[in-house]
Formats: sequence, C-alpha cells, structure tokens
Amino acid sequence: MVDALQEAHRILVERGVFVDARPDSGVSARVRAKSARGTVIGTIGTQRLTKMDDTMSDRAVREVLRRRLFRSRRRGRLWHAIPFEDSAELNDYLRDHLRFSRRVHWLVPPARRGTPLFVERAVRFEILEKRSNDELTSARRRD
Amino acid sequence: MRCFRAQVNVTVSSGRTFPGGLGFLRPPAEIELGAYGLDLRGLRVADIGAGEGRLALGAARAAASVLAVDPDRGALARGRVEARRQGISNVKFSEGAAQSLRLPDASFDVVIFSWTL
Repeated sequence: MVDALQEAHRILVERGVFVDARPDSGVSARVRAKSARGTVIGTIGTQRLTKMDDTMSDRAVREVLRRRLFRSRRRGRLWHAIPFEDSAELNDYLRDHLRFSRRVHWLVPPARRGTPLFVERAVRFEILEKRSNDELTSARRRD
Repeated sequence: MRCFRAQVNVTVSSGRTFPGGLGFLRPPAEIELGAYGLDLRGLRVADIGAGEGRLALGAARAAASVLAVDPDRGALARGRVEARRQGISNVKFSEGAAQSLRLPDASFDVVIFSWTL
C-alpha cells in the first residue's frame, strides 16, 4: 500500500493533491426504513478481515505523512444511501458482500421495519498535498 | 495549488437515492467530488483504480484531462463505451496497477484513489 502511495507521490506535481477515499469501516452502516432519511431500524458492521485491511491502509497513509511526502489538508466523511426493495433483497446483497457483515443487526422487530430499505454507508476521505522538494529538503535537514 | 476551494463542510450527505445500474452502489461522482471540495477546472487528473470510470467521467466534466487507470480490462472497456455515450473526449482509460504506474514523474495535478487502497 505504501508502494501505491509512493507512486501517487511520484506522478504528482509539487503541491499536487492526492485524494484517498474509502468506505469507513469504523462506522456501522445504518439501515433506514421508508426513505433515505427515515428511521434507523438496523445497523450493518464490517467483516473482521476487511477492518484489518482498512487498518493497514490507514497505516500506509500515516507512513507517507510521517515521511513528509505529503501534508494532510482536510478529512471528511460523506454518506451514501443504497436502496433495497425489502429485507430479502438486502439479505441477497449482503450474502456475497466483501466488506459488510452478512447480517443486519435489527433494532426493531420485523413488524415495525417497513419498506423500502436504505443502507446508508459512511465513506471517509482525506485530502493530502504533495510537499514541495524544498520543503522536503529542509524538513530532512531539520531531522 | 489553486484547486482548493474554500473550506467545505466536511460531512455531507447525498440525501438522494440512485436506483438503476451498478453505479448506485457507489456515490455519484458529483456528490463524491463535491465532498472533496476541489476545483478541478483546467487540471490534469489521474483516477487510479478507476474501474468503469464512475469518478473519472465525473471529473472529466471540469478537468482539462483525466486518465483512468485500472487492472480490469473489461471495466476499462465499459468505461470507454460510457465515455463515448456521454460525449466525453478528455478521458483516457489505461490498464495498470497502482503499485507500478507506467506514467511520467510529475505529470498530474490531482491523483485520486477512491476505493483503491
């Protein structure tokens, strides 16, 4: 992963911008009923191995920041809603999913769930800026 | 670089749903690029791990040029078809892997890894 970030650094101009965006496995996806802004009726976690992968990706980003290849300019999160007709369609979707847990953790009994369903997942992003060669040289001198 | 817009609210919600096509499984390009708060006008953008070019095609509407890189030839081919369908001519699709990009040094203003790392 650090290799990929080094490649991104190489092809960027000085002070060029690098964007890293990924699903945020630190936050459970929310299942909402009836509309994308409806009541939260369940949550969906992330598979353990995927969480480990995400931790490694986070470490890789921290590593290139530590090496002063980039500086962090901004972080944020956006939410993305995916619609499903009903729980059967959602379960089909989760069955083969590479990131999400296989099951919804329902917060309400079946009779109170309603349809359609919306899975609202968090996507985190970080905007990095490539440091100029002058900055990198002076930072290394200071070290 | 001048591509930074004024500070944006870092938490945004699509607040919309997008049924139809595989694209609805990821945020629409305009929502995701809007969240980044970057002004891509006139810039050279590389979308690494671009898949079918969901984000690359969105970025191409503002950027001077976009290169979409992905190891999946099939996805790249679908992206080319979609670019033609949308009449977008400033995006190129190229096979490659993020770890070893066959691209010259210092050739892009913006590099995007979306769902890539």
